[in-house]
Order: sequence, then C-alpha cells, then structure tokens
Amino acid sequence: MRHNFCPLGSLIFSVFKTLTDQQVTVELKNDLSITGVLKSVDQFLNIRLDSIKVLDEARHPHMMAVKNCFIRGSVVRYVQLPSEHVDTQLLEDATRRGAPT
Amino acid sequence: MSFFDFQGENLEDERERIRNGGLHENEDVAVYTWGEDSYDGLGDALQEGDDDFNDETFGGPGVVGKDFDFAGQTSLLEPEISQHKTANRAVASPQDLAPVRQAEQHPPVERRAPQSLESIWDDKSPFSVLPRENGGSRFAERERGQPSISQFSPYPESPMLHQAHASQGGARTLQEIEAEMRTAAIQSRNTLQRQQSALRLQQEEEQFLQEQAFQRRRLAAQQQREREREEREMQLQALQRLQQQQVMQMREHTQHQRTPPPRMLPVSQSPRFLDQRQMLLLQQEDQLRLQQELQEQLRMEDLERQLRAQQISQLNQGPIHFNHRRQPSGPTIAELQALQQQQQQQNRRHRSQSPAYQEFNVAQQNIQMQQRLLAELAQAEYLREFQGATQAEQEALRAEAMRKIVEAEKMEDKRRNKAAKIAHMSRYNDLMTQSDKDFITRIQVSQLVTPDPYADDFYAQVYSAIVRSRMGLQMQDERVLKFGSSGGISLGAPQKGPTRRPNAMQRMEQQVERIVSNARRREEEKGLHSLHSLQGALGKTSGRSYKAAPRQLLQVDENPATSPSHAHAHAHISKEDAKEGAATEAAKFSRETLGNGGNVVRKDPLTHRQVLAILEALYDLVLKVEQLRRDRPPQEDEQAGQQWERECNEIVEQLWEGLKVMVPLETSNPHPFVSLLFPSKGKKLLPRLTRHIDQPRMLTLMTLLVACFTQLDVVKQAPLLDSLDDTPEQAEAERQTQAFLTSVLQSILPVVTKLELHYVTALLGLLIERSQDIGALAQTKPGLALLTLFLSRVEVIKQAWGTGADPIDRVSASASLEQWQAVFDQFFALLTPHFLRLFPSSRITLQAHHPASAALAIDIIDQPVWQFLAALALLAVPEQHQVLVTSLRDKVLENVLSANKGWVADEDERRTKLANVNLFLHALGLDSSQITL
Repeated sequence: MRHNFCPLGSLIFSVFKTLTDQQVTVELKNDLSITGVLKSVDQFLNIRLDSIKVLDEARHPHMMAVKNCFIRGSVVRYVQLPSEHVDTQLLEDATRRGAPT
Repeated sequence: MSFFDFQGENLEDERERIRNGGLHENEDVAVYTWGEDSYDGLGDALQEGDDDFNDETFGGPGVVGKDFDFAGQTSLLEPEISQHKTANRAVASPQDLAPVRQAEQHPPVERRAPQSLESIWDDKSPFSVLPRENGGSRFAERERGQPSISQFSPYPESPMLHQAHASQGGARTLQEIEAEMRTAAIQSRNTLQRQQSALRLQQEEEQFLQEQAFQRRRLAAQQQREREREEREMQLQALQRLQQQQVMQMREHTQHQRTPPPRMLPVSQSPRFLDQRQMLLLQQEDQLRLQQELQEQLRMEDLERQLRAQQISQLNQGPIHFNHRRQPSGPTIAELQALQQQQQQQNRRHRSQSPAYQEFNVAQQNIQMQQRLLAELAQAEYLREFQGATQAEQEALRAEAMRKIVEAEKMEDKRRNKAAKIAHMSRYNDLMTQSDKDFITRIQVSQLVTPDPYADDFYAQVYSAIVRSRMGLQMQDERVLKFGSSGGISLGAPQKGPTRRPNAMQRMEQQVERIVSNARRREEEKGLHSLHSLQGALGKTSGRSYKAAPRQLLQVDENPATSPSHAHAHAHISKEDAKEGAATEAAKFSRETLGNGGNVVRKDPLTHRQVLAILEALYDLVLKVEQLRRDRPPQEDEQAGQQWERECNEIVEQLWEGLKVMVPLETSNPHPFVSLLFPSKGKKLLPRLTRHIDQPRMLTLMTLLVACFTQLDVVKQAPLLDSLDDTPEQAEAERQTQAFLTSVLQSILPVVTKLELHYVTALLGLLIERSQDIGALAQTKPGLALLTLFLSRVEVIKQAWGTGADPIDRVSASASLEQWQAVFDQFFALLTPHFLRLFPSSRITLQAHHPASAALAIDIIDQPVWQFLAALALLAVPEQHQVLVTSLRDKVLENVLSANKGWVADEDERRTKLANVNLFLHALGLDSSQITL
C-alpha cells in the first residue's frame, strides 16, 4: 500500500494543514502574488484562500474584485508562511523522519 | 389568361346559395383548405425528399380504393367554398371587390374542365399517379410541367405569390377574427387546464378575485352616483376587456413557456440548470420590479396630486355640485385606473416577451394590492366628504394609507429577499447524488490512506499536540485513524470550533474502514498491491521530474588526480573511522577496565563532517525514542510494556554511546562531546536528548562539560562579542552563544538545581583547575552564566539549611560547607583582579560611529555581570565584601552618577543603570539612593 506522493510532498501538506486560518502569501508562476487567509489545502497542495489581496493591485486590476480563490497546486511557485506559526525544529524533525533511511 | 374569363353571375349565384344556408356544414372546413386560395403555403415549406422507397414500404401503385377519400368528397364543394370566401370578402369590402377578384386569379381550368378529385383518383394515367407517389409535392407537379392536370394548383405560381394569396385571404371580417380568437381562447384554456400547475391556477384565481372584488367595490361606490354610472360602466367594460386580453395573452404566453418534461430536455436545459436560469430571471425581475415600483410611486404621487386638485376644485364649487363635480375636475378615478391599467398593459406586453412572466405575476399582485389600497383610499375619501370630515383628518388618513402601502412594500421586499437568498443558496442542491459523493470521497480517502499515518503526517500531528498542550488541553483523541497493521489515515489538526457537520467525520471514518477492509480482502485474494486500481486516480502529485535524475550541471571527477588525498579522506572517512574507532574503543575499554586511565590513546578531534554525521544519527535516535515514548503501550499489557521498556532502554543506551561522554578526557582536544556541541544543531539537540538520560549520567555529562568548558567554541570565541561592530563572525558567535545559553545550560539546569553542596564544590574546584584562568572564563557569557548557576545553587542550599527546610546531617553539612568556603575563597581571590574586566562595558570601547542605543545595549549585556556579582556578594564573607566594594566602587559610582546627573540618552538607560547597580548593592544590603555624591 505504498502511495505515489513523495514523503516531502506529504510533509508540506502536513505543514500547510497546520497553517489553516493563517495569513499566507502565495506566489504563482505567473508572477501574481496573492495574500490571503489559508482556508484549506489538499494533498496536491491545491490552495483555497479567503479575503485575498493581490500584491501589485495596479498591475492586476482584474483581481481587485476577487475576494477568495482556489489555486491549483501546480501553478504555485512559492508560499510565504508566517514564521511565528511554523515550528522550525519540528519541521527539521519531520524532514528527518521523511528522509529515506 | 383564364383570369379574364371570370364570370360575375356565378358569384351572385353562390351568394344566393350562401344566403340560403347551403354552405353551413362547410363552415369549419377552413382547416382543410390546402388546395385552395386561402391556403397559407406552409405545406410547401415542408422538406420532402428521399421518397424513392416509399413504394417498397407502402406498396406500389395499384388499384386504390376510395373509401378513405374524404377530401374528394369535400372537394366537390370546393367551388362553393371559394365562392363563399369571395362572398365574404365582398361583404367586408364591396368596393374593393374588383381588385380582389383580379388578384385572386380564379382558375379558368376550373371553369373549363371542372374535374373533381374523384376524376383524378379515377385517372389511371401514369402522370396522375406520379405526383401522389412522390409525396404529393406540388412543386414536383409543376416541375413535371403538368399544371393543367392538377386541380389543386393549376398555376405555375411561385410560393411568394401563393403567400400573397394567403394574406389576402386573411383579410377577414371582424366576425371571423372574433371566432378565431374564441377558438384560440378555448384551445389555450384547454391546454392550460392540462398543463398549468395548480399554483399558477391559484394565482390566477386570486388575481381574478382581487380584480373582481375591486370591481365590485367600485360598483358599489358607483351605485351611489347614478349620474356617473353609465360612463363608468363603459369604462369598466373597457377594463374588463383589457383584463381578459391580459389573461389571454398570459395564457398564450404560458403555452409557449411551459417546459417540456425533463427527460426530453437537452442536458443544458435539465431542471437543475433551469433552476439557475430561474435565479437569473429572478434577479432580472427584481430589477424590473424596482423600476416598476418607482414608476408606481410616481404614478401614485401623480394621482394624489390630481386628487388634491379635485378636492380643491370641490371646495371651490361647494358640496351642492356633488353629482357634477367629477365632470369638470379632470380625469376621474376610474379613468385614472384605466390609464394605469393601460400603462400596465403596455408594461406587460413589453414584459411578456421576456421569460420572466412568472415573477411578473407576483409583481402584478403587488401592483394590484397597491391599486386596491389606492381605491380604498379614494373610497374613504368619498365617505369622509359625505360626513364632512376635516382636511386634517383626510391628510392623516392619507398618510396612514401611504404608510400602510410602504409597509406592505417593505414586507414584500423582505420576503422576496429571503426567498432569493434561499434560492441562491440552494441552487446547487442535489447536483450530485449521494453515491456520487461517496464515490469521490472513496477515491480521495483511498489516496490518503497510508501505512503509517502518524509518520506521514508527523508535522501536523505533533504541531497540533504542541499547540494543544500550550493551550492547556490534554491530549484528547489521537487525530489518526488506525486500522490494525495495514494502515490508517491522518485527520490533521482538530477543528477549532464545533464542526459544521460532526457526522461528516463519522461518515468518513466508515468510508475509510470500508476501504481498508476491502483493500485487505483484495490483497489476500490477489497477493498484490491492493489499491493499484485507484492509484493516481486523482492525478499524480509528482510527474516525471522527480523520477528522472536531475540534469548534471557540473562534470566533476569523483577522484581527481590532483587532490586524491582530500577526496579520498572524505570518501572513506567513515569506513576507516569505523574500523579504527572500533579498535581504539576496544583498546580503551581494556585499558579503562585495567584502571589505566591516564594512558589514553590520543586521537584527532572529530572533523566537522563526522560531527554532523554523528549528530544526524543522534537525531534519528532521539526521534525514535520520542516516538516510542508516545507509543507507550497501555498499562494492562504487561508483556508489551516490558518489550517497550527494553526498546527504550536500548535506544537510550545508543544515545549515551553516541554522545561520547565516556570517552576519556585526554582523548582529544576538543573532547568529542564538546565537538558535538559545536554546531548549533548539536547544541539544540542536547536538551531533547538529556530528557531521556538519567540523573547519574547527567551528572557525568555535566562534569565532563565543566571539565572541558574552555574547549567550547562559545568560550573560545567570546572575545569576539566584546565589540559592537557588526561582522559575520560576531553575529555567528552571538548566535552560538545564545544557542548555548538557551539549550545546553537549560539542559543541565535541572541537574544543577538538584546538586548537593559537595558536588558544587567539586565542580567549582574542577572548573578552576581545568580552566587555568578562571578570570578569563568569567569574562565569557557562558562561563559567567555557569558560575552564577553554581553560586546561586549554593545560596539556595544555604538558605534551605538556614531555615531548616532541608534537614541535614550537621556534621557532614559543616564539613561540606568548610570545603565549599575553601574553594570559594580560592575562587574569589583568583577573580579579584578581574572584577572590573568582567563588565563588557569595561571591555568594549564605545566608538563615535556607534549609535546612541549602543550605550543601552551595553548596560543590558552588563546585567548578567551584576547578577553574578550579587550572587558572589551574597556568599562572600565581610572581608570579601570590602574587597568587592573597593574594586567596584568606580563602576558603581559611574553608573549612579550618569543616572543621577542625566548623562544618559533616555529614561530607559537611566533605569537600567540604576537597576543594575541596585542588583549588586542590594546583595550587600545597600541601595543606590544611599550613595550621595
């Protein structure tokens, strides 16, 4: 019953799960930066954001009226996490556990 | 052409016959007039072709009986019918008769060879049959060039011309139109009865009732006014007509609008989508309604203005003119109403083209309600006038009425809003069936089931546990569903509030259980990976990119000839080390057991890589033991408990070995244990690791740490911190020092707080002995911290003895106290020359380019020194106090002076300085306020 999502992917998924209802900034591959409250995330790292705000609103006027969004995981470049809500040491541990031994 | 052979007498004869009622039975035959002039030509529009095999299907041309030839029978009367039509036309417009006749182009063939249909059926010539075989297309007939044979359409007319005929034939009398309207109304009513929903009917009934009630009321009012009655009745009739027309229109409309049964609809029009469409319509309707209400209000205001004008004129005319007063005063109420109706009618007509007729119905009711209220208002006014009510009362009444109207509107608005909201929310209801949902959940869940849910969701699990413990909640339930040995699913962090659907989780659990049990069964059957069929069912998280080896960018030879030793060393270090290590360990072990401790095999200190490798191994062990501690078996299970304990001890043993605490002191400089503390990773590991190590071992560990204290990187690099310049080295040293203070010292703190006095004495002695220069050590932050730790521990012990809280053997106590005092005296003497140098502020030279805040920063880093001195002062004997005061007088005075004289940047700095000084002075039983300058 081995599954095809890599351990690291599941780790990130695991981390993101703890960040629900926190403010995150998602940088997309099309250079759009969306800041919003993380509502949910799934194993593909698809992300649902609420009360979003786009970084450079002048450049993306079409996003001004958008209040929430669903982001397909594959279009995400970076996610900026709130450092106060990430346990770095635990993250290190999790990485150690996830590493194939 | 034949047209000119037209004979007028025939017409007259026909007319005569019609007058005698000869054609009555043919009155309804209009339906079958496809061969006639008034035929609308629609039959030609039919697409007809591919009839080639009709013969095979229906049988070839043979002798055809005539028992079905109804048309043939009726066609006998055809001339009469046409005559009748023309007669009608003549009646309608006798003066136009001639042109009509001309346009009609009466067939001369009919006159010359008056063949009946029968003769055609009888005709056995192939030509007469051909058109029949070919589906009776009249175009085909014409193409065959036999216009004269066919009685039905003897002319090579174009369809256009034919239609022109039809339209001329359509110029009918009013009676005919009325008859048609009647039949249409009947038909529509019939269809309505079949197809309309009960609701619609009810609505209509209500509407009718309202209208009729309205009329009745008005009639009652009219009876009082005999003079006006006739005029009003006229209006009423007009109104009724209009209403009837409305209803008819609406009915016709519904006929168009009714939806076909769902199964017959294309997908895009299935009822679900219809719901959405209706939502749209509803919204449109809302807008329309708003507009309409606005109009309505305007109209009402208009009406009111007129009413007021009437009243004024009435007042002018006086009550005597009651009966007549309506005539001169502009439009009557009824007229206004009629006008309103008309406007509505227009609106409606306009609206009826839009599909929002249903909602419109509601709006209509709204309007009618308003109308009724208005009518009531008008009526009430009449009554008031009769009774001679005052103007103010009328005004009040009107205001009341207006208020009622507005209120009703508001209520209606609210209701509609609510309905719209509900509709909006429920528009996607039941898009998926329960089995659809179950299917998707099953696939999703199957993707989430893992053999070790805890490990795969480690971060979230532990994080939520930490958060929960931080919030003071005990571990309620494991957020992992486990299913025997085969796997489970992690549920992630618990929901914050109460879940919206608590049973959703239950359902998912059931689902997962089913999946897992199914999977297990299948696995047994096949002996294969069970969930292969569902693997990747939702797509793949990782594409080729991670499977394919990353593209190599640097072409570096594994063993370049230029520096073989280096690469070799790195590549084989672990192996050699392992071999060598094992050998030396064995040798050392034998030597130690022989009690030959001084004769140690000296080794090179651990390299950075080795340290990192060992640390990683230690981390793995720590994680393993932490996991084990979490998975403690229940108390009842004796067997498992013992097994678990064994495992734990085994790992702890490995940890202890890994820490290399038992490696002899002289093995290397720095000692391997100290090497492990070099990286911040190692420093951070220690507190997690020491949790699992028992007290005696910790004591050993601490002794080793004290003995090797000068070897620590943080002690060696301490002078770097005596600078306010920001350099990477300084920053790194700062970081490491901080890590040491928070991690390493924290991990030994629990040991120190339980130390016996003689242990402290021994440790202090060891520190003095090993460090050679205790003064230098005391100038480092870690050293100072450690010393403070020891001194305060002694103070605590002394206090405990003093209060008798800790009953102790007097003799041994005094002995250890004596011992302590000796070591302390030595320590104090060694430290005395360095008292001033202990302060970072004395070591750091403040430079011009340093910011103003630097001074405050210095005061803050001075604080531990003051603390240490306070601890020292507490333990010191009076002579030592003297020494302390004399050596620190300048420092104290400097601080107090600068604080009191205002030589400080701000209040914060002043307070910090005074607090620092007081920290020390209080230990001596003094206070900074006692110092007078």
